[in-house]
Amino acid sequence: MSENLPNPQQAPERTDNSASGRAREAGSERVKDEALLERVAANDQSAMAEFFDRYGGLVYSIALRVLKDSGHAEDLMQEIFFQVWKKPESFVPGRGSLGAWLAVVTRNRAVDVLRRRKPDDPVDDVVLVSKTNLASEVERSSMMEKVRQVLDSLPVEQQKSVELAFFEGLTHAEIAAKTGDPLGTVKTRIRTALISVRKAIQA
Amino acid sequence: MTAGEHIPQEDLALYAMHSLSADESAAIRAHLETCAECRAAVAEYSGDIALVALSVDQHTPPDGARERLMNRIAADAANPESNVVAIDAKPVNKVYASIQWSLVAAMIVLSFALLLKIGSLRIEMRQQAALIQQQSAQTARAQQILDLLTSKSAQHVALTAAQAHPQPTGRAVYLASSGSLYFQANNLAALPAGKTYELWVIPASGAAPVPAGLFQPDATGNASVILPPLPTGVPAKAFGVTMEQAQGSATPTAPILLVGAAAGE
Repeated sequence: MSENLPNPQQAPERTDNSASGRAREAGSERVKDEALLERVAANDQSAMAEFFDRYGGLVYSIALRVLKDSGHAEDLMQEIFFQVWKKPESFVPGRGSLGAWLAVVTRNRAVDVLRRRKPDDPVDDVVLVSKTNLASEVERSSMMEKVRQVLDSLPVEQQKSVELAFFEGLTHAEIAAKTGDPLGTVKTRIRTALISVRKAIQA
Repeated sequence: MTAGEHIPQEDLALYAMHSLSADESAAIRAHLETCAECRAAVAEYSGDIALVALSVDQHTPPDGARERLMNRIAADAANPESNVVAIDAKPVNKVYASIQWSLVAAMIVLSFALLLKIGSLRIEMRQQAALIQQQSAQTARAQQILDLLTSKSAQHVALTAAQAHPQPTGRAVYLASSGSLYFQANNLAALPAGKTYELWVIPASGAAPVPAGLFQPDATGNASVILPPLPTGVPAKAFGVTMEQAQGSATPTAPILLVGAAAGE
């Protein structure tokens, strides 16, 4: 079954990198995402294989960055994809891109695992505003470079706060205790960093 | 915060990032149920979080991960009893339907909680298994050292300096059947920069000397080599120590600084 499915990573590289080309591609991929989820909802196992081929690397990479252990990262990846299989309606088309939704759910779940927090927080109600479509490798790679540039350009204190909160999973109170900075300062730095990323991408 | 007030933007950002305490998150969650404006702000921050998550280095999932997922899905598909939601087609009155849908919603939430709990438990089990494996390996190593030192079959060899003034000494305990070797040296001269001592097992068969580990003496000239990787079943007629380049050598370089013949060989 799954062995016969095409692997998107082996697909011919796209050469149209113009803005209009990317827009067409993003729109096309968004439609494919929605169609894919409809097939998943219809218990089409081959659709899950395609879904994994498209987003497995993204989910695994984020889980690995936070958990720093390949075994734990795969466990989390498996759980997230299995949840999509069991409940594909968790993602509501039109609220944002599927890739962005997966990125947030993965990052938040990984932090929950780090903190051994009870997994009954309603993060599966994640709703996000995202104008980016991460289904395309080209779009994803381009966006990754932009975000990295923004993060690298942030003041060191902001970078450190984002690292501790985002990837180390510390609460703002833990960050304040660790760095010796006031709570309000930590909060402002984290929000400012997020806004900086948003503005840079929207620019 | 009082009724009608909005949550500060900083707190909404932290809420979206799961960077608040459980109590703080619960308070904001309650507010979000009735505040569309704050919900919209959280959605915006979640979009930002997706972007930051994108900045990570990309890795390919481990070999077999896709197959493991598909096997799990196939097993789930083959067992309809495991489906989260059961659809009841029978007509029901409005109140009863409301209760039913509440129950279904509760079951969905419960099922999610259970699925995620299973994931957490699997991760804990993996950590425990790794710890047990590490402790087992340490126990096995300690037992191997004990077997070597107490074995009546082990060869006990005293090594002395090959030079005229044999202040440096070495002592090797070797069990050919298991390839186990314990070596202790004393009064060794300090090494020049870029050099190391190398221990050699000289086979009784006349074959080429077998490298048995690199070592450097401490400040008092003492050093040891414990259970280096060696082939099994190689009886030794002697042991030797040479000085080699820091990365070691495949064959000993003259002169031999310490040498000792194995008893009975």
